[in-house]
Amino acid sequence: MNTRKTLTVAFFVVVLAMGYYSMNAAPVVSDEAHTYEGGLEWQTEPGTALEMAQSQDKPILVYYWATWCTYCDTYSDDHYRNETVRAELDGYVLLAINLDEPGPGAELARQHEATYPPQHRIMTPEGETVTSIEGYVERQRMLRILRRGAEEAT
Amino acid sequence: MILGTTAGTWLLAVAAFAGPLATVLLGYQYAADTRAYDRVIRVATSVTTLALASALVYLTVQFVTGDYTNAYVWDNTANYLPLLYKLTGVYASNKGSVLLWALLTAVVATTTVLLNRFDVRGARLTQALAMGVVSVFATMLVSDSPFVPLAAEFPDIAANGVPVDGSGLNPLLVDPFMAIHPPVTFSAYALLVVPFALGVTHFVSRLRGHDSVFVEWIDSTTRWLRASWLLLTAAITLGGIWAYRVLGWGGFWSWDPVETAVLIPWLGLSAVLHSLNRYRTTGQYSVLAPAATAILFPLVVFATTVVRSGVFRSVHSFAGGGIGSGILFILGSTTVLAVVPAFVYWFRLQDTAEGATADGGPRFGQPTILHAAVLAFVLLAFVSVWGLSFPVIRNLASGVEVGVDARYYNLWSFPVVVFMLLGGGAYAQRERMSGRVVLGTVAAVLVVTLAAGIGLARPEWQLATTEPFDPLYYRVVGGLSVLTIVPPAAYFAAGWTGRFVDRVARIDSRRVRLKETGVVLIHVGAAILVVAVSLVYVFSATGSVGIAGATGLDDSGEPVVREVEGTPYTVEVSDYRPANTPTVTEAALSPAEVLSTDPSATAVLVRGEVTEVQRFENVTIAQLDGSSVWVGADRGTVAFEPGTEVVVRGSLSDPRSTNIDALVYTDRENAGTVDDPPTDVYQPRVVDHRFQVTLYRGDEVVADGIVAEQSYRGRDMNTNDPLIARGPLGDTYVVGTMTRGGGLSIEVSRYPLANQMWFGVLTMLVGMCLLFVFDPAAGARD
Repeated sequence: MNTRKTLTVAFFVVVLAMGYYSMNAAPVVSDEAHTYEGGLEWQTEPGTALEMAQSQDKPILVYYWATWCTYCDTYSDDHYRNETVRAELDGYVLLAINLDEPGPGAELARQHEATYPPQHRIMTPEGETVTSIEGYVERQRMLRILRRGAEEAT
Repeated sequence: MILGTTAGTWLLAVAAFAGPLATVLLGYQYAADTRAYDRVIRVATSVTTLALASALVYLTVQFVTGDYTNAYVWDNTANYLPLLYKLTGVYASNKGSVLLWALLTAVVATTTVLLNRFDVRGARLTQALAMGVVSVFATMLVSDSPFVPLAAEFPDIAANGVPVDGSGLNPLLVDPFMAIHPPVTFSAYALLVVPFALGVTHFVSRLRGHDSVFVEWIDSTTRWLRASWLLLTAAITLGGIWAYRVLGWGGFWSWDPVETAVLIPWLGLSAVLHSLNRYRTTGQYSVLAPAATAILFPLVVFATTVVRSGVFRSVHSFAGGGIGSGILFILGSTTVLAVVPAFVYWFRLQDTAEGATADGGPRFGQPTILHAAVLAFVLLAFVSVWGLSFPVIRNLASGVEVGVDARYYNLWSFPVVVFMLLGGGAYAQRERMSGRVVLGTVAAVLVVTLAAGIGLARPEWQLATTEPFDPLYYRVVGGLSVLTIVPPAAYFAAGWTGRFVDRVARIDSRRVRLKETGVVLIHVGAAILVVAVSLVYVFSATGSVGIAGATGLDDSGEPVVREVEGTPYTVEVSDYRPANTPTVTEAALSPAEVLSTDPSATAVLVRGEVTEVQRFENVTIAQLDGSSVWVGADRGTVAFEPGTEVVVRGSLSDPRSTNIDALVYTDRENAGTVDDPPTDVYQPRVVDHRFQVTLYRGDEVVADGIVAEQSYRGRDMNTNDPLIARGPLGDTYVVGTMTRGGGLSIEVSRYPLANQMWFGVLTMLVGMCLLFVFDPAAGARD
């Protein structure tokens, strides 16, 4: 086999290996029941989230997002991976709804008038909305809203 | 309306008739090897192009005059927009952009028919294929016409008569770059139709035992491809600048599906131009070069499908409702045409003598390196294709949704680019030196590269932030220093510069020298670009701060000063000034216009001079401009003075008088004079929220100017105007987002080497221009 044929064969081996490896190494964004925005485990069904909230007596944080939304990336990287924010989020049941594929969350999105991501709502375990965050807010402000929301919603 | 169809659709129907006619006749002339219908063909192709051109002009006129009987016009423009954006609204959505693309393709196809420079049998097949693509476009446009009447598409809106204003243009598209980015992109796409047709003809001719036109047309094809390459590079650059300026897109490049998709044909074009180079001089790649030339057109159709289909969610999904089946048909049929004949030919070739030749030479010679370069371009394209595809494939297969982020693209592309730079440098060096010397140099550069990559891997210099649970590959490549790119890029640039100096010394022809200058500029520009892009990615830093009550700020008051968390900057906001477009006075209707409005409208805004006032027991009414339109209010609430010009908002009520056709009933809050109009009750189409911002680093002013955000009536989407302070070492980028309750969130980013990046692209573009104009082997005469 000459050099160029060898190169070509090597090329196809690299393509196959790379394709297989990268597909399996990709981070899971969501599976049957959860989505993993910012490395957190979010519910995707409002019904399940409400049941959990009632049994644990926690407020619900609803997060409306989309794959192409760059501010959502900022939330994921900067806010949700922050230890202080995560500590605050422990007090919440997390529900994330992809606005492009809301599924069972479509009705809730309509109720919340959430059409353009990112959007956040804080709800009581009974499903009453107490606070909204429309669009992007910086981390400190989000922390304040989360702290206040947790008090108001319980 | 003629026979229930609009005039514009009839124009498209003419194209959809003449186009297929020309296609069929050209196909017949090829099959029967005759020239009997040449005149008819010339007329038919010209008519197709003229009909498409007239349709585009007609649509543009409808946009400029605001002809809202057309649903597409109503949906994509509005009165308040300046002329430029009325023109660009034409291709703001699917139908109009397909029309533009169809016209440009028709112009290209017709040019080849009318010039008819090559009198070979295969030329007719080439022309037939190009006209075939135009015909499918034309048919698509008839079935999904941009001239559908409002009543057919939006019956609810049309039920109240012709609207006085359009529904508006997508705010992101209200930008000067809209005037140039799409036409340049579609021109680049259209130019690829002839190379596509040629590639297909080549294999069909060979299979039938005829002479190929490809060999004869190769020089001219190279020019078509180079023109397309130049325009596509320019289009991608313009898109990047646009994304940088109109925020919400995350900088100049964010591996959004559409950006990724358009990179695929660009990489394909680069690979093809490299392989054609070899084909032209030595006849190598006798199968690959024409086949790859043909596949480029399906690739750009694929890119468009990605952009517009909605399968891949993207910031470019301006037009909802999915893409027409027509585009999918073009994608399918052109792919089959490009691949099948080439494959059949290649399969049969194995047995003939032709397949056995075309090799030999030294193991580490220029042909081998060039082959590796072509494969590497294809590998880069594969990274992009795969990144777009595998989430869809995996989701369909298992229902699990996986994420593809910038890290996937960056970390898989990076080693390929490093390898390409090493190979490219070796190619240039090999022209003057022996294989042994070159291998030695490459080995030395590789050692320096690895030393830089591992030795300088300080956390803030690493290619990506990685976690211990990340897959091994990401940890290894992500853990490398970004400076890994510098030694190979330097070797690459030095190699090409050396080759240039060496060649130019031996060349007398001015044109060949200029061509060589073009070649070296393209390669050196590319080296600058990849270094700058890598560094911008890794070293960009962002911090933000919230400012409560920012909309309450006034020039004369005390400014707010805050430190920006995570950066060395302090920000000062000193003034807030909103600007309405149109202003309440501009938006107000004249009395004549009031008479033609829909009587069920909830509120009417009218403007005019008070010419007569009548006072009754409870009511005062005033006549405007001596017309039959009057305004009225409860007595004593609004002072109507004859001779003053008023702006009044109110509801249309029953005038109870035969002399009055319309009475606009108002109150104190909703009425005012032209000098003091009722701005508070008015909702403009656009509010431009302008904040005066100064950014300090210590005591030094880094940036000073306006940071603005625009909000739009009836839309959830806002746009932002950043404040960009450019410097020799990078840009400081300030953007403000309004938060609830009149607050402002300021985000400050630092993009180092941003200007070096633009400089790299510009160098490449200049090089491409020189190569396009001055290469004597591809059309230029000395």
